[in-house]
Amino acid sequence: MSDQQLQNLIKMINQISINNLHHGDEDKAADVVATHIRKFWARSMKQQIIDYAESDGIELSAVSRLAVKRLAEPQEA
Amino acid sequence: MLQYFDPGKSGLNPDIDYGTPPSSSETLVSVSIDGTDISVPEGTSVLRAAALAGITIPKLCASDNLEAFGSCRMCAVEIEGRRGYPASCTTPVAEGMAVTTQNGKLAKLRRNIMELYISDHPLDCLTCPANGNCELQDVAGAVGLREVRYGFEGENHLDAEVDDSNPYFSFDPSKCIVCSRCVRACEEVQGTFALTIEGRGFESKVSAGQSEPFMDSECVSCGACVQACPTSTLMEKSVIDAGQPEHSVVTTCAYCGVGCSFKAEMKGDQLVRMVPYKGGDANHGHSCVKGRFAFGYATHKDRIREPMIRDSINEPWRTVSWDEAIGFAAKRLKDTQAKYGRESIGGITSSRCTNEETYLVQKLIRAAFGNNNTDTCARVCHSPTGFGLKTTIGESAGTQTFDSVMKADTIVVIGANPTDAHPVFGSQMRRRLRQGAKLIVIDPRRIDLLKTPHGSEGIHLPLRPGTNVAMVNALAHVIVTEGLEDKAFIESRCEPDQYRAWRDFIVEERNSPEAMEAVTGVPAELVRKAARIYGEARNGAIYYGLGVTEHSQGSTMVMGIANLAMATGNLGREGVGVNPLRGQNNVQGSCDMGSFPHELPGYQHVGDPNVRERFEGDWGVSIDPEPGLRIPNMFDAAIAGTFKAMYVQGEDIAQSDPNTQHVEAALTSLDCLIVQDIFLNETAKYAHVLLPGSTFLEKNGTFTNAERRINRVRKVMAPVAGMEDWEVTMALSNALGYPMHYQHPSEIMDEIARLTPTFTGVSYDKLDRLGSIQWPCNEEHPDGTPTMHVLDFPIGRGKFAVTEYVASEEKTNRKFPLLLTTGRILSQYNVGAQTRRTENSRWHEEDVLEIHPSDAELRGIHDGDWLGISSRVGRTVLRAKVSDRMLPGVVYTTFHHPGSGANVITTDSSDWATNCPEYKVTAVQVEKVTQPSEWQRHFQQFDQRQQELLTPAEAGTETSDATAIK
Ligand code: SF4
Ligand code: SF4
Ligand code: SF4
Ligand code: FES
Repeated sequence: MSDQQLQNLIKMINQISINNLHHGDEDKAADVVATHIRKFWARSMKQQIIDYAESDGIELSAVSRLAVKRLAEPQEA
Repeated sequence: MLQYFDPGKSGLNPDIDYGTPPSSSETLVSVSIDGTDISVPEGTSVLRAAALAGITIPKLCASDNLEAFGSCRMCAVEIEGRRGYPASCTTPVAEGMAVTTQNGKLAKLRRNIMELYISDHPLDCLTCPANGNCELQDVAGAVGLREVRYGFEGENHLDAEVDDSNPYFSFDPSKCIVCSRCVRACEEVQGTFALTIEGRGFESKVSAGQSEPFMDSECVSCGACVQACPTSTLMEKSVIDAGQPEHSVVTTCAYCGVGCSFKAEMKGDQLVRMVPYKGGDANHGHSCVKGRFAFGYATHKDRIREPMIRDSINEPWRTVSWDEAIGFAAKRLKDTQAKYGRESIGGITSSRCTNEETYLVQKLIRAAFGNNNTDTCARVCHSPTGFGLKTTIGESAGTQTFDSVMKADTIVVIGANPTDAHPVFGSQMRRRLRQGAKLIVIDPRRIDLLKTPHGSEGIHLPLRPGTNVAMVNALAHVIVTEGLEDKAFIESRCEPDQYRAWRDFIVEERNSPEAMEAVTGVPAELVRKAARIYGEARNGAIYYGLGVTEHSQGSTMVMGIANLAMATGNLGREGVGVNPLRGQNNVQGSCDMGSFPHELPGYQHVGDPNVRERFEGDWGVSIDPEPGLRIPNMFDAAIAGTFKAMYVQGEDIAQSDPNTQHVEAALTSLDCLIVQDIFLNETAKYAHVLLPGSTFLEKNGTFTNAERRINRVRKVMAPVAGMEDWEVTMALSNALGYPMHYQHPSEIMDEIARLTPTFTGVSYDKLDRLGSIQWPCNEEHPDGTPTMHVLDFPIGRGKFAVTEYVASEEKTNRKFPLLLTTGRILSQYNVGAQTRRTENSRWHEEDVLEIHPSDAELRGIHDGDWLGISSRVGRTVLRAKVSDRMLPGVVYTTFHHPGSGANVITTDSSDWATNCPEYKVTAVQVEKVTQPSEWQRHFQQFDQRQQELLTPAEAGTETSDATAIK
C-alpha cells in the first residue's frame, strides 16, 4: 500500500461521511456510510481502511471511524 | 376506404416524401382523390393525402419535413366546385372534397412552369453530380417537358460563382431554382437561420449570412439544407467526387448520445455519404456535422491495421499475427495473476463500442479474470446519474423520449450545452422554444440555447461552478414554501417518511434563495422567478449534462433534480421528466451492460446471491461477490504496485481522465497494458499489446442512446484488420481458457436478454421489425417503454433524498484565484481522436482558454496571447480568447486536443458517491507566458518517440490469420 493510496481512501470515506451527515446524527450517518462502502468498495480497499482505523485512524472523521467499525464487525446476513 | 391516422408512423415508408408534415388532429376527414376515397386527419394537405393514397403529384418546393410554402405551383390540382388551380401543398383537405390531380389543363400548366425553370437552368444533366438523383430532373420527366421555347440567351444565372468554402458540401447557385427549401430547412429543422432569400423576383437568390461564404456565416454545417435541396445546388463534395451511391444500409451514428439513424450510402465497400434516416426515432431525418460528414477517420491512414506487441514501452512495436498477439497477451495476464494474485488485473469497457462488445468485456473480466475489476469511462461522466437516479426513482436512466420535449411548457437545462454536445436534440429543443416553451438555464456559462432565434426569452442563472446543490435546494425551497408542490403526486407516489424528512430540511431558512445567494452568486429574485416558472408549468422537463455530474457533489445534485421533479409531479407522462444527456454514443449502453465493478448487467448488484446464481448458471463459473476496483482505484493500486495488468477496449484513459500526470505514472507502472483501439491513442503509447479495433462501420451490434433506445449498428465494410471488436475479446477469452463461441452479436444479445430483466423482450428480430426499442422491454412492455414511471417506480414509491450542500474542497485562494470549468464544442467529439482526423478540425483547430474581459484586463491579456494555466497539480499553456460568456472569476476550456493537456491541470478530486472526477471545478491561476509548459514539452517528445516506435512496425509483413482464429 502506498501513502497516496491510503490518503485517497481516507479522503473518500470522509467525503462520503460529510455528504451523509444531517443534523449531526452521527449514528445514522455511519450506517449509511458503512452500507455505501460495503456496496461499492473493493475487498482490498475495505481491508486497507479497516487496517488503518485499527492501527492509527487519526485522520478519519468521527462518522468515518464509526462506519469503519461497523464494517469490521461480522455482517449479519 | 383507406383510413389514415397519420402521426402514428406505422405503415409510413420513411423512404417516401409525403410532401408536407403530418397533422396531429384526431378528427378524420374524408376526401376523394382521382376517384380514390381516403380519410385523413383534419389539417392534412391535399398533397399529403394524395401521397398517402399512393398518388404522386409533382412538386418542387414542398418536402414533408418542412412547412408548405406554395411557391413553385407545380403541385397545382383541380378541386370540384373551386375556381382555378390551387397548390395542393398549401390547401388543407375538407370533408367531401373531390380532387383531380391529372388532366390536360394541369399537364399544360405544369409543363409551362417547368419550361420557365429550365430556361434558367444549365442543361448539363449528364455531367451533373445530382444526375440520377435529382428532383428537378424527375419532375421534368414526369410532366413531359420536351422543349424550352425561351432559349437560353436571355438574362440568367448560369455564370453564378460556386461557393466551395465548406469542406463537405458545395453551393453552386447556377443550379438554384429558388424553392427556398434550404432556407426553411435551416430555420425549421436545424433552427440556425443562417440562410435567406435575398432580392425579389428574378433577382432573388439564396445567400448565407450577410452574403458571405458558408464557412464565414452562422452555418454549423448540419447538412439539412443539402438534404432538402431538390437540385445539385447544395451537394456533398463526396458525391461530386465519387458519383451517386448504389446501395445503402441503415445504421446508427457513433458519436454522441442522441444516437441518430443514418443511411450509409455506399458504392461497393466505399462509403460515399451518410444521410440522416427519416425512419430514425431519435432524429427523424436530422443530423449534425459529426455524424453527417465526419466519417473520413474510418479510412484514415493512421488506423492501426495489424496487431503489435513489445516487451517494454521503450521498444519499437513488432507486427505479429493475431494468434501471436492474443497468445502473448493471454500469457502475460496469466503470469501476472500467478505472481500478484487474482485481483491484480482488470479491464475497461468502452462507451464507444457496442452493447454486445461491452457485455463481452465485462464477462471476460468476471468469468475469465475471475474478479470484478471492470469499469468504464462512463465513470468519468455519468456514474452519478446511475447512483442518484437509482436511489430516488429506482432506475439509472432518463425518463423520457426526445420527442417528449415537444410537450414541455418549461424546459430546464442544467450544466448541459445541447446545441453543441447533442446538436440534433438541441435543434428539437429550439423548435419547441420557437413554439413558446419557456427556458431556464442553470450554468456558469451563457450557452447558445439562450439565443435561440425566435425563441422566448430564457432565464439564465449563472451560478458559480461547484454550487449546483445550493441552487437546486434554493429552487426546491421556493417550490415548497410557496405552495407549488404537487401534493397529490407526492401522496400517491412517494415514500412519506423520506418526503417528510426532506421537506423539513428544505424549508429551513438556510436553503432559501436569499441565504444561498452568497454561495451561488445568483440574485435571489431571479432564482425565485425560475422556481415559479418551473413549479407552475403544466409540464416541466429537466435536462442535465456533465455540468451536473462532474462535481464533488454530482450524485447529490442528481438526487436534488429528482427531488424537484417528484415535488412538482413532473414524472410519468410526456412533456416532463428527468433526463441526463449522455456524452458518448453508448454511455447508456455501457452502464446497462454491467461495466461497473459492483453491478452485473441490468444494474444487478454482485452482492446479491440470487442475481449471481443466475449468471453463474449461465456462465458456468463462480462470480466474486465483492465489488472490484474503479478506474481511479486501479490507478492508485497500480502506483502502489498491487495492480499490474489491464485490458482497455476503445477508451483513451490517458487523455480523458483527470490529473494526467498521475494517470501516466499509473500506466507506466503496469507490467502489461493491452490496448484495443482504432488509432495509436494516448493510452496506447504506454501499451505492450496493441490490438486493431474496428469502427462502427465495420461491425454489427447495438448502441443505446440517452433515451434508452436500442438502435442497430450494421456492418457496411470489412474490419481493417479482419476482426470485429467482440471477436477479439472472444479470442482473448478463449486463449485464457474460458471458452466463448458466439457466431454473431445477435447471440450475445440473446444471452443479455436471458439474464437482464429489463431486456428480456429484446432480440435482433424485434429490432429489425420495430426499428428500435426503448428498454425496459419485457413481458409487461413487449414493444419497449417510451415513458418511464407512468404508474409506479421500479422501487415502488419514489424516495426523496436530503441533499445537504457541501462546498467543494477545490476552492479559490490567493494563489489560484480563478475557477476553471471544462466543456465541449460542436465540431469536435470528446477526446477528438476521430474528429481531429477529419475536416471538422477546420472549425476548431486548437483548444483555447476563454477568460472574462475584466480578468483579462487585470492580467494584461489580449485575444490570442499564450497563457500559462496552473493548478495544484499541473500546468499547461493555451491561447487566450476574451469572452463574456462566463462570469468574472471563471475561465473555460475544452479538451479535444491531447497536446493542450487540459487534464494536466484538472485534479483528482471527485464525486463522493461514485468517484466521478470533478472536471467542472478546478482552482487555477492564469498568466501570460512565452513557451509551452514543461508537461507539453515532455508530451511532444514522448509523442514523437512513440510515433517513431510505430513506424518500423507498420512497414512489417502483412498478416491475416483473422479467419483462422475466429
Ligand atoms: S448546413 Fe445546416 S446550418 Fe448550414 S446552412 Fe445548411 S441547414 Fe443551415
Ligand atoms: S439551393 Fe436548392 S433548396 Fe435552396 S433554393 Fe436553391 S434549389 Fe432550392
Ligand atoms: S453526433 Fe449526435 S447529433 Fe450528431 S449525428 Fe451523431 S448522434 Fe446525431
Ligand atoms: S410543391 Fe406545392 S407549390 Fe411547390
